[in-house]
Amino acid sequence: MNLSSRMIVVLTSVGVLSGALLSTVGLLTRERIEANRLKEIEEAIVSVVPGTTVNQKIYEEKDFTVYATRGEAGQITGYAIYTAGTGFQDKIVIMFGTDASLQKIFRLTILDQKETPGLGAKITDEEAFLQFWENKDCSQPLTLRKPPVSREELGASEINAITGATISSEAVLNTVNASLAKLRSLIQEGTINIEGNNGQ
Amino acid sequence: MASKSLRQEFFKGVWDENPIFRQLLGMCPTLAVTNAVINGLAMGLATAFVLIFSSIVVAAIKKLIPSQVRIASYIVVIATFVTMADRFLAAFFPPISKSLGPYVPLIVVNCIILGRQEAFSSKNSVGRAFIDALGMSTGFIIALLILSSIREILGSGTWLGHQVLGSWFEPWIIMILPPGAFLTLGILLGLIMVIDRKLQRSV
Repeated sequence: MNLSSRMIVVLTSVGVLSGALLSTVGLLTRERIEANRLKEIEEAIVSVVPGTTVNQKIYEEKDFTVYATRGEAGQITGYAIYTAGTGFQDKIVIMFGTDASLQKIFRLTILDQKETPGLGAKITDEEAFLQFWENKDCSQPLTLRKPPVSREELGASEINAITGATISSEAVLNTVNASLAKLRSLIQEGTINIEGNNGQ
Repeated sequence: MASKSLRQEFFKGVWDENPIFRQLLGMCPTLAVTNAVINGLAMGLATAFVLIFSSIVVAAIKKLIPSQVRIASYIVVIATFVTMADRFLAAFFPPISKSLGPYVPLIVVNCIILGRQEAFSSKNSVGRAFIDALGMSTGFIIALLILSSIREILGSGTWLGHQVLGSWFEPWIIMILPPGAFLTLGILLGLIMVIDRKLQRSV
């Protein structure tokens, strides 16, 4: 066999063998990887809308998914909103829960972020940031309180900024405000109808 | 090279030719993921898996590969094992896979691995290639563990997630940021040089 055909044969067989091996590995792990992702979302939904036992995806687009959540008796408990916005370094992926009338935010949790450790990364910290999101009035856009004050002094729709990480705090806030506005307009248009999804 | 015993072949990767402290190879994962011990350990083990299996395969098929396409073939072999490691971590250790982010796929371009194929596996028997890869991996893991321990203890006050320094300790945040990696690595390289010089003088 001359050199060029030998090169072709060797490279082709190396490629084919590696492809076969990888598709096997891909098949074997795909289900588990997908299950991990779903489990993470499921857990986040339950944590942001209290009393949720079932949820149903009612709207989906890139970086914006809405889940309608229901309690044990089938009553509507609210919405869980999965969204992402640009932070200081990279995308911040957020899940937050509201009541069915979109007047109140129950809780917020950060699913993924790459903010500066020790500064912006505090957006995942309960003490420094997440606790201020509990039971907030979101009938009007949320605003940032800077410098931070105690939880009692904080207004009904105010969130404390993290000292030294205003950009990250603002990023979360803006993402939440934008998602709420988007969800409201989707409901107004009739694209999302929480009752209408009853039977599906 | 054939005169070296298997024992020497193994230990050269740990000290004399330690991939990080001596050859200064694979700096990208070394600097990027050593901000916590768990990340350093996972990166070390993933790289070891890729290095050991790639070395065995390359040593086994070295005679079949025309030298003109050897690098392309090695990279395909390496990329195959890297993707396997990546999928495995994503399936069974999702939090680790998440915190290592793009650095697992980037093992493909880790110079330690391609370097060993070119310098060693393509010229030696399967057994020797295996021992060499094992030694290099051990050296790599030890180096990552030292770096990540220093950075995690000083930068977060913890080791492998356990609190080791009291509440009086104010974490040096710079240690878990990129500059901390350069500072730690630089000081360690200097120390290793000093120790090595002392050792050689005593011999």
